[in-house]
Amino acid sequence: MATEPKAATEEAKIDLFEDDDEFEEFEINQEWEDKEEGKEATQQWEDDWDDDDVNDDFSLQLRRELENNTMEKK
Amino acid sequence: MAYVSMGEAHRRITDYLNRFSDAVSYQDGSSLKRLLAVSSDSPSLLSLSDALNVFQDASRLIKQFDKYSQFGEILVPLFRSLQNYRLGHLVESYQSFEKSSNAFIQEFRNWESAWALDALYVIAYEIRVLAERADRELASMGKIPEKLKGAGSFLMKVFGVLAGKGPKRVGALYVTCQLFKIYFKLGTVHLCRSVIRSIETARIFDFEEFPVRDKVTYMYYTGRLEVFNENFPAADHKLSYALTYCNPRSEANIRMILKYLIPVKLSIGILPEISLLEKYNLVEYSNVIQAMRRGDLRLLRQALQEHEDQFLRSGVYLVLEKLELQVYQRLIKKIYIIQKQKDPSKAHQIKLEVIVKALKWLEMDMDVDEVECIMSILIYKNLMKGYFAHKSKVVVLSKQDPFPKLNGKPVNS
Repeated sequence: MATEPKAATEEAKIDLFEDDDEFEEFEINQEWEDKEEGKEATQQWEDDWDDDDVNDDFSLQLRRELENNTMEKK
Repeated sequence: MAYVSMGEAHRRITDYLNRFSDAVSYQDGSSLKRLLAVSSDSPSLLSLSDALNVFQDASRLIKQFDKYSQFGEILVPLFRSLQNYRLGHLVESYQSFEKSSNAFIQEFRNWESAWALDALYVIAYEIRVLAERADRELASMGKIPEKLKGAGSFLMKVFGVLAGKGPKRVGALYVTCQLFKIYFKLGTVHLCRSVIRSIETARIFDFEEFPVRDKVTYMYYTGRLEVFNENFPAADHKLSYALTYCNPRSEANIRMILKYLIPVKLSIGILPEISLLEKYNLVEYSNVIQAMRRGDLRLLRQALQEHEDQFLRSGVYLVLEKLELQVYQRLIKKIYIIQKQKDPSKAHQIKLEVIVKALKWLEMDMDVDEVECIMSILIYKNLMKGYFAHKSKVVVLSKQDPFPKLNGKPVNS
């Protein structure tokens, strides 16, 4: 780690100006079709996930935990 | 650098000069733009740069003929920029390019139709990219990097030139997006405000007239700004627009949109399917989403800790942290459902100690007072309907819709 301290500070300065998420340039005059695959990304959302199902592992463990009211494991 | 004879150098330079003056005479924007792309490393510009470095006195050539000398103020510094770029002198390359571009803009103003817009786009792009490289060079020499900031000022001027009633105005959004990239890179995002105001309120601009690629880029950046400002409905609208209209083949860009859209959707109670996360490699969100589905507060905390650096860098950490309330809601709802299955008549009353127990199981050591506080917050923010019977330490839930869904709206603030 101590071998190249200079390089490290140079990199640190350069790192100052970064946006990890800079959008890539599209080609000028590039037209694209709204292909079906493209629509895919807009359709993969759920708003009805908040159901009343308590049969998953987590819920079963929760139930067991709550039922454990008289048993004190010491 | 390839060896070039004087004669060959002369030929290449003259060839370029002819192409330049022809492009302007015939209003051929598509040819002109190719002559300006300094950082593109195109074979023809590379070979021109080699020629310039050999010939050394191209300005004399330019001044020889009217058809070149009329563009002297553009061409002389442009040549200098190309030469310097080829030699790796990036600060000088940028400075010359800026000088050339200033002269270009003066000519551009006088050209009536929008024929040279494509060339202007190249200028705008090159100004930014050359400035970035110049700043890197400055930083590596231990000097203050200020060229990118200067590029920003230049582009504001260009914006001003385009902000008129004529056909050139459709170029304003591209310039705006270059400015966004600069401001985001410099961390001076507050400077976005004035261009945004111009685009969105000036009567000369009709958003629909702009090219789709610029609209997508614009909505991506303004969507990110809405995320920073925690305006989730606006962020949802803008980032969703960007997602809908983005080139389906630009996977990197789609990924970036989703990176910001997912936390926004989570904040309004909408979950992405796992396949989406996998397709675009956004698996850092998987455990957050799983935690929301389950009501698993421990998993949420783990997920935030595991990817803390990533989330902090992109600025979504606080957005995700606030999901905790929704996870509490889900947990309490599960307790309610479990109780209801055992004894439906008493289900709507949840003893605080039961919640404390569940939380302890999830490694969240809270005392009764803290839990009471959280319950009050859930009720206050309409995530839970009911009241808290303080003396008996019981949450009494409303018999109707005790856990209202968000319905696409963020949690009440």
